[in-house]
Amino acid sequence: MYGLLIAIGIVLLLSVIWMVYRIQALISVAKGSSKKIATTSNKVNAILMMVFLVGCTILMVWYSIKEFDNYQLPVASEHGVITDQLFWVTMAVTGFIFVLTHILLFWFGYRYQYDDNKRAAYYPDNNKLEIIWTLVPAVVLTVLVFTGWRAWKDITAPAPEDAHVVEIMGYQFAWEIRYPGKDNVLGDYDYRLINANNSRGIDFTDKNSFDDFPSQQVVIPKGEPVLFKIRARDVLHSVFAPHMRLKMDAVPGMPTRFWFVPTKTTTEMRAELGDDEFEYEIACTEVCGRGHFSMRRVITVLEPDEYREWVSEQESFIKRNPDLISDLPSDLKELAEIYINESK
Amino acid sequence: MEEKLSYEEGAVQPLSMHPKKFALWLFIVSVVMVFASLTSAYIVRQGEGNWLEFNLPDIFWYTSAVIILSSITMHWAYVSAKNDALDMLRLALIITSFLGFAFLVGQWYSWVALVDRDVYFVGNPSGSFLYVFTGLHALHLISGVIFLIIVLISSLRYKIHSQNMAQMEMCVTYWHFLGALWIYLFMFLLLNH
Amino acid sequence: MAVANVSSHDVEHHEHEHHDNFITKYIFSTDHKMIGKQFLVTGIFWALIGGFLSIVFRLQLGFPDMNLEFLRPIFGGWIDNTGKLDPNFYLALVTMHGTIMVFFVLTAGLSGTFSNFLIPLQIGARDMASGFMNMLSYWFFFLSSVVMFCSLFLEKGPAGGGWVVYPPLSALEQAIPGSGLGMTLWLVAMTFFIVSSLLGGINYITTVINLRTKGMSFARLPLTIWAFFLTAIIGLLSFPVLFSAALLLVFDRSFGTSFYLSDIYIGGEALPNTGGSAVLYQHLFWFLGHPEVYIVLLPALGITSEIIATNSRKPIFGYKAMIISMLGITILSFVVWAHHMFVSGMNPFLGSIFMFLTLIIAVPSAVKVFNYLTTLWRGNLRFTPGMLFSIGLVSVFISGGLTGIFLGNSAIDIQLHDTYFVVAHFHLVMGSASFFGLVAGVYHWFPKMFGRMMDEKLGHIHFWLTFVGIYMVFFPMHYIGIAGFPRRYYTWTEFAFSDMYTDLNMFVSAAAIITFAAQMILVFNFFYSMFFGRKASLNPWRSNTLEWTTPLHPQHGNWPGEIPSVYRWPYDYSKPGSKEDFIPQTIPLSATPESNLPHEEKLVNLEKEIIAEEGQILVANETKEES
Ligand code: HEM
Ligand SMILES: [Cu+2]
Ligand SMILES: [Cu+2]
Repeated sequence: MYGLLIAIGIVLLLSVIWMVYRIQALISVAKGSSKKIATTSNKVNAILMMVFLVGCTILMVWYSIKEFDNYQLPVASEHGVITDQLFWVTMAVTGFIFVLTHILLFWFGYRYQYDDNKRAAYYPDNNKLEIIWTLVPAVVLTVLVFTGWRAWKDITAPAPEDAHVVEIMGYQFAWEIRYPGKDNVLGDYDYRLINANNSRGIDFTDKNSFDDFPSQQVVIPKGEPVLFKIRARDVLHSVFAPHMRLKMDAVPGMPTRFWFVPTKTTTEMRAELGDDEFEYEIACTEVCGRGHFSMRRVITVLEPDEYREWVSEQESFIKRNPDLISDLPSDLKELAEIYINESK
Repeated sequence: MEEKLSYEEGAVQPLSMHPKKFALWLFIVSVVMVFASLTSAYIVRQGEGNWLEFNLPDIFWYTSAVIILSSITMHWAYVSAKNDALDMLRLALIITSFLGFAFLVGQWYSWVALVDRDVYFVGNPSGSFLYVFTGLHALHLISGVIFLIIVLISSLRYKIHSQNMAQMEMCVTYWHFLGALWIYLFMFLLLNH
Repeated sequence: MAVANVSSHDVEHHEHEHHDNFITKYIFSTDHKMIGKQFLVTGIFWALIGGFLSIVFRLQLGFPDMNLEFLRPIFGGWIDNTGKLDPNFYLALVTMHGTIMVFFVLTAGLSGTFSNFLIPLQIGARDMASGFMNMLSYWFFFLSSVVMFCSLFLEKGPAGGGWVVYPPLSALEQAIPGSGLGMTLWLVAMTFFIVSSLLGGINYITTVINLRTKGMSFARLPLTIWAFFLTAIIGLLSFPVLFSAALLLVFDRSFGTSFYLSDIYIGGEALPNTGGSAVLYQHLFWFLGHPEVYIVLLPALGITSEIIATNSRKPIFGYKAMIISMLGITILSFVVWAHHMFVSGMNPFLGSIFMFLTLIIAVPSAVKVFNYLTTLWRGNLRFTPGMLFSIGLVSVFISGGLTGIFLGNSAIDIQLHDTYFVVAHFHLVMGSASFFGLVAGVYHWFPKMFGRMMDEKLGHIHFWLTFVGIYMVFFPMHYIGIAGFPRRYYTWTEFAFSDMYTDLNMFVSAAAIITFAAQMILVFNFFYSMFFGRKASLNPWRSNTLEWTTPLHPQHGNWPGEIPSVYRWPYDYSKPGSKEDFIPQTIPLSATPESNLPHEEKLVNLEKEIIAEEGQILVANETKEES
């Protein structure tokens, strides 16, 4: 249906163009093709430049204002507030230059259109001007970079000691989430240990893994630092949490990390947006194959006490599936069993 | 007249080299970039840990000596050509080609030595890189030997003499470059393996 | 002596060399002009294919519910029974679109065409340094094209890991079907392509340095030549690195080495590879990849500099500053590559360094823009289609360059990386700008290529449809990108945050289709004018550069007589005092006393001497040759 419409559209367009071309060719033959340079078409093009300038400016301003709430994603992390600010400052600076240079470009186009009686100015260089417009952008850029660098340094600084660790492992085509449990230390893993029961390749000979537990969602507390430990099982993926202004590639064989402080609980955000369905989401932003577009996970931000309650309700891997420790050496197995019994 | 001519040349042709020789230099630049990128990759990768340590085959010392020697005989060939000592030129070219061949055989034995030490092409990248360096260099050296043989044939046809040195000079440049490249690779490996 | 010798010898030589048969003239030609045209036509072919692929995936994005049954004759099984595009094939389309456009259209089609066509003509040489290598360069490109084209029809589809082909995705067939034979052919094709680029680049550099005509000093080279020259240098230094990256990838794919692969569990088994580094590939790739974007852009900038100056009837403003900024870009383009990897997991300290370096490169770009604007200021502008596209280039270069400032700031890039904001950025600054440069060049040099004029009115219509069109396509992508829509997504409806803007995406797709359709005007105009266009005059744009001193249909060897000497820079437009508003480079200063500037007066005497000697030398050589 659409296809047909489009095809018809194209055919129509082509035939219109063809007609215009024929008519114009005939006219020019009739007039006798002139050698004049300042033709009407020169003038028409000059006028079109102004039309383009005015038309597009109106369109751009109107749409940018009208859609602001749509494209401006609400922000829910501490560093996100800062990077958003940087973004809008940069937008102001570049927006100004954008408008200014375009006004000059099209205005010059209109103003200096060809005129047989005029001559262009012979103006080959001016070193002072060159120096000015080398230095000014350089200074402006330095300021922008410097502020950006300070933010970047803070964002990528080592996570605070007390950050809540969450492991996110990408694979085709989903994420697996693991929590370190009470000790806040994740157990070791090795990709050779992966099997149907142990999709993350957790090494249960490491005692730190006894209290590790899985989750269907990323659940994190508001106002406290959270550290994502990110890895991948097969190909590259990238953890992207748009509302947290967070992105980090997941690389097989090379664990990566990103820490941040969420600032609004899911409930708060729902109230703010007036949208009861709202969820924070994680998407994948490094092409990874067929299901790249569907690697969705939900992040739930809770109040800190709710979060602690939630953590205490979770059951560790070995408790959910005691088979996992069946192959352990006996001393470790004992320890693990003690752990299971204790947490009952 | 002669004076004016040189003035004329200087005024209009600020830099002018035999175009083919110049192109050869550019080719050398691109080969340098290949090896520069590979050796940088080696260093970057080494910095990430999980790196197999092993001793380089001793035979590299011998092949390095052979290739230096071949550069010397190449120079001998060049001087002979310049002095129109054609028989000497041919002899020197033959010896150089032979040394080049010997180098290639030596490199092959270095692979054998590597395999003896359980360092394979497939395995830890530290070994794989070694195979890639030597293999890629050997490929270039084969092209160098072919070039030598072409030059040898032209010299047998009396096409190389003091008045017609372009081909010879290109071959000399290329050969010295290949020698230097190997010495660079060897030094690099000695320092970074 | 050597110089005069060569040229006088060539004259005789070329006078009886005009009996090429069809094969040597049109197919295995060693004439740089024919090779340039071959590159151009092949480039146009690829542009149509690449454009068509993008229309297909834009249909998927803009009209997700559409029944694509009608594409089945072309794509066969990739359209499933419900008329939907296969997601794997979607990725293959995106990958092929990127590869084709970046390498085959905007590198080979742009740089290949105009470097070949213009370098000898504008520096005053009979041909490239090595016509044979030049021919090889085209035929390696052709071979590469054939291989890449065949890969489109493989049963499992062409490569599908994005044009950057990051491993492990591109190394493992288990991960995506395109990483099988499709990826192998991709690598083979790219290897041929690298060989072609190197052969071409070596030739361009050698020619520019060694074969300039008398008087053509570097300070008198048109900016086009400067641009092609620097482009070739960038290519010479960066393509070998792509070769290294690809070579190691081949070893990983086919021989089981572990340069890039490590700790992978896929398809139910753990692979033996350990110790590789996927990030290493990204470093190697972007060491080429970033310079590559300038390989694509610089020729376009050179072409527009020339066209804007000619059609403003004004010297290009800041000739020296233009050269210095191009030099700056050339050098800096090698030290910014890791700005594509801010969130790849690389050391954040490296990220800071690359952020500083990246924003430095914005400065020479800004200088160029200001110089273009000042060139237009107080000019006498003729809106030929070439001029319109050049002005359009300045506009899209500004729009796209400014968004680079966001992306180069690593803190801001965290959010924007791999979203549609990046897509908007590079399609404007690289895609559209270079495409505009290519088209502007075609309109401007068509009379020299084919001895006929393209139709101006059609050119105007083509320009306005294209200019408005590409803004309608790429400007909205900024909004979509700021909203966080990721790249290379088959559909966005899986996520709440991106389950919107269906209207805007529909608009973009419709605009893309119209813009693509508008390119048919160009194709028609091109082929129609080739045979039926109005006959061109010798110097239709009243331009100063050397190519316009050749006959209407220059033969192999370009100038029937001696190669003209050059006495001035190429931008003497509207010089005060001179009667005409242009003074070609071949007019001696001594012939234009009325318009010479004070410092030029001094040169006049020197020049007179040279001219006097020239006659003598010719005589001397002739007698010498006879003896
Ligand atoms: C004003 C100076 C520029 C700056 C500061 C800049 C900065 C950047 C940055 C930081 C990225 C990476 C974005 C990301 O993936 O997150 C990027 C992407 C890109 N830039 Fe630029 N850029 C500039 C100019 C250019 C120019 C002149 C071109 C081309 C001629 C260009 C072509 C590209 C391309 C092709 C990509 C995307 C590659 C990909 O991921 O597929 N940029 N730019
Ligand atoms: Cu993914
Ligand atoms: Cu870049």
